[in-house]
Amino acid sequence: MNFRKREVARRVFAYELNRSTYRFPKEDEKSPTYVLTPLGMRVNRVYFVGALLDKDEIKPDSGIWRIRVSDPTSAVYGYVSRFQPDALESLMEIDVPELVAIVGKIRNFEVGARIFVSLRPEYVSPVESDVRDYWVYETARQTIDRIRAMEKKEDDDCKLAWQIYNPNLNEYRQMVKQALLSLKEGFVVEGEEGEEIEFEEEFEFEEEEWDLSDILKD
Amino acid sequence: MEIESLADQIVSQFGRLGYDVDRDEVIKRLKLLVLEFKVPEREAVRTVRNWVIREYEIPREKVISESPLVKIEEIKKPGEWVSLKAKVVQLWDSSSPSVSQVGLVGDETGIIKFVIWAKSGKEEVEEGKSYLFKNVVTDSFQGRMQINIGRTSEIVEIDEEVQSPREIEIVGALVSIQQNSGLIHRCGSCHRVMTKGICPIHGKVRGYDDLRVKGVLDDGDNFYEIILNEDNIRDLTGIDLNKAKRIASERLDRNAVLSELKKLLLGRYYKVVGVRGGRYLLVRKVDRIGGVEGSEVDRLLEVLA
Ligand SMILES: [Zn+2]
Repeated sequence: MNFRKREVARRVFAYELNRSTYRFPKEDEKSPTYVLTPLGMRVNRVYFVGALLDKDEIKPDSGIWRIRVSDPTSAVYGYVSRFQPDALESLMEIDVPELVAIVGKIRNFEVGARIFVSLRPEYVSPVESDVRDYWVYETARQTIDRIRAMEKKEDDDCKLAWQIYNPNLNEYRQMVKQALLSLKEGFVVEGEEGEEIEFEEEFEFEEEEWDLSDILKD
Repeated sequence: MEIESLADQIVSQFGRLGYDVDRDEVIKRLKLLVLEFKVPEREAVRTVRNWVIREYEIPREKVISESPLVKIEEIKKPGEWVSLKAKVVQLWDSSSPSVSQVGLVGDETGIIKFVIWAKSGKEEVEEGKSYLFKNVVTDSFQGRMQINIGRTSEIVEIDEEVQSPREIEIVGALVSIQQNSGLIHRCGSCHRVMTKGICPIHGKVRGYDDLRVKGVLDDGDNFYEIILNEDNIRDLTGIDLNKAKRIASERLDRNAVLSELKKLLLGRYYKVVGVRGGRYLLVRKVDRIGGVEGSEVDRLLEVLA
């Protein structure tokens, strides 16, 4: 029987996702792709809730749409094509900006010397703000658990994350705190502006130059 | 386990039945299967037991009276003779003449479907009562285990009340709804879901409409396959069977119901209470999670401080 265990959908803030540039070597052609986050978690699939800010067809009639979706910590990019019919169908019905829940695979790709992280949604669904609130809370809780595991340095993936990223845990504590405070009424998130602009500029490459096959297909 | 102790188990098992089995021969056969042929222990034991039964011409009735007492969570393979103490949790309607009763039985470890065949000539079981089900055969259908109660099985009502299965509570996001959800057809005989008017067991038969969602609830650490019934779906979406049929006829498409349910349910958080039945979590109660308490947020902020 062709049975592979389903991948759990991890909860990761965009801030941590965007820095998850290490991809594990594949065991064989058919094995799933995992990336390692700076807080030592192996991720294949994520469940993400945030504001869908942009959706643009990368060139006319290409059928490939680039989306940008933001949680209280950062924005992350995603690509949707006809290989994800459910996601494409619902995306076409959504007017931006809109709060959405996304379940999707995480994909890394290289542009020059930089590695970008993106989402490949399996579906995109408009949701209510209480879903976003709970997601921020839950993701904060699970991120705190990861920070604790990083402090302990016991787990193999945590050790690897220290080796590869050597993260500043205080920076991540601060990020989680910002996200939680955003749930308080009237609180405005400042975000990581300097970084964001730089990232945006580098991202404005012509997508045709990239090999998108890996991020669009299974 | 050591070959010797496996052999002793087999020898003593048949010893209790009054057969003096050649221990050296049993060891020899087990060694060949396990050490040389690399057969799993379980299969080796089964093979040697079958050899003993043939060799000593042991009547079948004697052997199956020995079927081991198991807990429901231990039932994982089809074609095994087992006995279990369990409580009848639910009886379903059976319109098939070959089936006397069908439903669910449970013990503290889980829940499993049972089928009492009409041919078995058994007295009816009652919901809420506990029984010893002796010499039943495990079976699987589409990955789900069940027990079959036939002529050689025995059902004995017992005084002790078997504990109900432990309920678990999961909070998670509904990350997937499977294609065979929404407005479905079930077979009138066995209640299985039909595809294009065909029951996997009974072929082309008259079916009836039902509403269900087969989906995946994911809490970030684990996922749980859940099945929501019509009541659950109505509570969450306001769509009941009648409304579902109306949607299907208005849009001339039964799949429109599935699209609508996906739109209303996917990507949201739910708290689900239910019991594990094989690979599924059988849902008793489901509630939408409406946001987060301020005090919970404060608690996390304190942890960070
Ligand atoms: Zn049938």
